[in-house]
Amino acid sequence: MEQKEIMIRLKGITKAFPRKKGTLEVLHGIDLDIEKGEIFGIIGLSGAGKSTLVRCINLLERPTEGQVYLDGQELTCLSEKDLRQARRSMGMIFQQFHLLMQRTAMENVCFPMEIAGVKKAEAREKAKELLELVGLGDRMESYPSQLSGGQKQRVAIARALATNPKILLCDEATSALDPNTTAGVLELLKDINKRLGITIVVITHEMKVIQEICNRVAIISEGKIAEMGSVQEIFRAPKTQIGQELVFHEGSNREAYAGRLPYCYRVVFKGGISNEPVLGRMMIDCNGVANILAGNTRNIDGEVFGQMILQFPEDEALRKKMIQYLLDQGVEVEEVAYV
Amino acid sequence: MFNSEMISLVGVAFWESIYMTIISSFFAYVIGLPLGLILVATDKDGIAPAPLFNQVLGIIINILRSIPFLILLVAMMPITQAVVGTVIGAKATIVVLVVAAAPFIARLVESSLKEVDRGVVEAAQSMGASPFEIMTKVLLPEAKPSLLIGSAIAMTTILGYSAMAGFCGGGGLGAVAINYGYYRSQRDIMLVMVVLLVVIVQVLQEVGLRIAKGTDKRL
Repeated sequence: MEQKEIMIRLKGITKAFPRKKGTLEVLHGIDLDIEKGEIFGIIGLSGAGKSTLVRCINLLERPTEGQVYLDGQELTCLSEKDLRQARRSMGMIFQQFHLLMQRTAMENVCFPMEIAGVKKAEAREKAKELLELVGLGDRMESYPSQLSGGQKQRVAIARALATNPKILLCDEATSALDPNTTAGVLELLKDINKRLGITIVVITHEMKVIQEICNRVAIISEGKIAEMGSVQEIFRAPKTQIGQELVFHEGSNREAYAGRLPYCYRVVFKGGISNEPVLGRMMIDCNGVANILAGNTRNIDGEVFGQMILQFPEDEALRKKMIQYLLDQGVEVEEVAYV
Repeated sequence: MFNSEMISLVGVAFWESIYMTIISSFFAYVIGLPLGLILVATDKDGIAPAPLFNQVLGIIINILRSIPFLILLVAMMPITQAVVGTVIGAKATIVVLVVAAAPFIARLVESSLKEVDRGVVEAAQSMGASPFEIMTKVLLPEAKPSLLIGSAIAMTTILGYSAMAGFCGGGGLGAVAINYGYYRSQRDIMLVMVVLLVVIVQVLQEVGLRIAKGTDKRL
């Protein structure tokens, strides 16, 4: 297999914040490699430490222990001055956009170039290109207060790209946006990743966002990486409790099945079979009925996945027969723990 | 009572008050604005944290602010004499006004700058902005409307102090009010002086607010 180039390498990242009594350790020894050109997702519930983790990448938060490497260069040993220089190759966007309210869209995009010492005319030219790239060619002289949330985030993206960064860090970049706008912004990020080859790190608490654009994902829980892998792998078979929670959570009524009823199974259809009436055939052929508790279909990276939570009959022989039928059809079946 | 002599006296006093207020405000800001910036930057959550320095500076500012203006006026006489060569008149008052107003302005500036969203500062840091660039390119421009409103407050306060200096031989409307209105019991003159002061305060406040509103792009 071809050796992938590593863009961001985190080694043993630990972060503790001083508290009145002792310290609060938010991250515990995180090791993470993010490859060049990929869109990497970091997902976790709020308070899991994901925002702190992303701030450790550009050292807005200095890790208590551990090293951060960007494209082979260790950032954690740089002087403040060199670090500021290095930050120009790391763009960042935020949940609340954080635009300069007293500057126009154009001036906002020029801002990082001003800091980098780019000539004004050159900066304006580049800013114009970027604003056109994000679809705001006609709003260049608007102030942030005159723009919608999605437009503000687009300005922020253009601004983050102004210094030709190697990576783009997105901290809950779509969490303040409505679903339609979110889709648009995610589409833009995907497009930027493809067109400019920029490595993107996406922090989110929404599995939907991960599915939409990420290649790989790390699930972080209580300051540790619970599991990590390709989005398809994680979605199909989340190994950890937190992984299952995040994957099942959306679009399905967790309360309906989460260990409350006996004989519940999670079935995952993928590719072609999700278009066939497998379930209906199973019920006819096996002469037994399954109760559908929850279900949804998703498109991950071009592949269609359908997942359902089914409650099978109490009769063990019949149940086994039905499950075997599904397995024979290439459907994945996994028992949901009954408590 | 309002003969031509009196009217010209009031005219001179009026301009003297305006002159004292503007010059004092200018120099007080020359000192107070950087102090305010330093207070915000060196705060423990600031862009260049120096908690101990911050606390010491804060205490010095508080001490200066708690000295009553009239006491300061008297206590500073040797310094005033050394700086401008006199302890009476508008010039001398300006020296004391600057010292009295600078710490007050530092606090006003500090509170205006603290209104700037912490996230915007973080965004600038993520782009590699230095603490100095954050001050000049983020904090000051973003806080401009609030700073302008603060400056209207500062100028009216300085005008008030300048009137007080009339008791100790300072010039301006305050001196006329005290010398004629109080010592010579010409209440009508005192009333006119007070009305003039009220008018100046109203104009300063209104103009300050309008400029602030006019330049604010958040609206």
